Amino acid sequence: MNPIEIIAQYWPRLLDGTLMTIKLTFLGALIAALVSPGFALIRTHAAPLAQAPLRLYISFMRGTPILAQLFLIFYGSGQFRPILQDWGLWTFFRDPFNCALLAFALNSTAYQTEILRGGIMGVPQGEIEAAKAIGMTRFKTLRRVVFPHAYRIAWPALGNEVILLMKASALASVVTVFDIMGRTRQIFSRTFDFSIYLWAALIYLCITAIFVLIWRQAERRLSRHIEAHHKPRVAAQPAKEPQA
Amino acid sequence: MSQTEIILKAEGIHKSFGSVEVLKGISLEARKHDVISILGSSGSGKSTFLRCLNFLETPTSGKVTVHGNEILVRNGKPQNVRHIEEIRARLGMVFQQFNLWTHRTVLENVMEGPVQVKRQPKAEARDKAEALLKRVGLEERMGMYPSQLSGGQQQRVAIARALAMEPDAILFDEPTSALDPELVGEVLKVMQDLAAEGRTMIVVTHEMGFAREVSSEVVFLHEGRIAEQGPPEEMFTNPRTEVFERFIAKVM
Repeated sequence: MNPIEIIAQYWPRLLDGTLMTIKLTFLGALIAALVSPGFALIRTHAAPLAQAPLRLYISFMRGTPILAQLFLIFYGSGQFRPILQDWGLWTFFRDPFNCALLAFALNSTAYQTEILRGGIMGVPQGEIEAAKAIGMTRFKTLRRVVFPHAYRIAWPALGNEVILLMKASALASVVTVFDIMGRTRQIFSRTFDFSIYLWAALIYLCITAIFVLIWRQAERRLSRHIEAHHKPRVAAQPAKEPQA
Repeated sequence: MSQTEIILKAEGIHKSFGSVEVLKGISLEARKHDVISILGSSGSGKSTFLRCLNFLETPTSGKVTVHGNEILVRNGKPQNVRHIEEIRARLGMVFQQFNLWTHRTVLENVMEGPVQVKRQPKAEARDKAEALLKRVGLEERMGMYPSQLSGGQQQRVAIARALAMEPDAILFDEPTSALDPELVGEVLKVMQDLAAEGRTMIVVTHEMGFAREVSSEVVFLHEGRIAEQGPPEEMFTNPRTEVFERFIAKVM
């Protein structure tokens, strides 16, 4: 079979795998995105001792292979099946998709927390003071000043993290999740035609390209005030003197 | 002293950074319509004192009262923290480095306090913000971002932002020190107008002309204490202390 025939025959499976990859990546990144702001604040504001558990978790997630983390959850949960059953958690861990999602969410949370921490530390201190000085509560200050800046600063790195996560999600195929990679291996085992791997690579490339495009649009929105600075000033008319 | 209402009262403000005592017990009273200039050489503690008034810096001990909101500080711990935000909302602050929110437009900067802190309806806040920006001569810059403005324009926006809160008093922390010399005038002009309309202002400044001609009272800080205090004309023509005499000789 030539590559075209392969894709003509198997595209529904690949499409199914593509949706699975997107679902896994999107949900994993989303869960991490919901948790990481709180963690990042602990990293920037809490006392060193209070941060210790969080730092340990982040070191572990960043210092070990994501495949090892996935195995730890997938096979590890099998070891503790009776306990998990007692707690009513076994139905969750029985599904390889859930295990993969948990592994990716935990992993991405660690990275996103550190990325966001950098963003928060880059927020201009004077603007925080201005928010305090006008009477904003701590929460308001975070929502109106700190996080808008922190996300703008962290945005490119966060995009990078999502791309890395998307590619790492191929590991889920090892624990029998039928994502792009899982479907591809399945098709290969029937056809022994390696061109299916080229198609798989092409799909990953397309997902990344589309994602980068969307992410860049969002970045442009977040950085409006900076781009404005580089446009020529409308200094044609002289600045008006204040009126009495 | 006239019988007008006391707007702000600071009593026995002490502040230490580690083992260095920067403020050694400063008391100050601002009555309605007062324009108080705080002078002093660098390191005298004048900016620190100003920042203690709205608790951007927490005093080590002392008491600040604004409009019945009293905050007593002992051992660096304010006793009634809940009043801090109330006090801040009542005291406008204008910074040396403007500190506009760079991700918001000029108009949004001025609307932010009324909408977010005072919970005013947006339309109302917008009308008021537009009027204020017109007053400081920036109605044509409303849609721009702070980075597109000159320093003097940014500082005028910052003043409009403070005014939008309808504060009882405005604190100015060296408002012209970061400006190019040719831009100082436009900011001083706005401040002068505010003084003329009876705003209560406390101004940390190096502008001797402003201190002398605009303010109703001058406070001279030296090594963390008030060394001399009084009406400007009297102080500048007849300094009572040697330190203030040396200070004016140096800066005038």
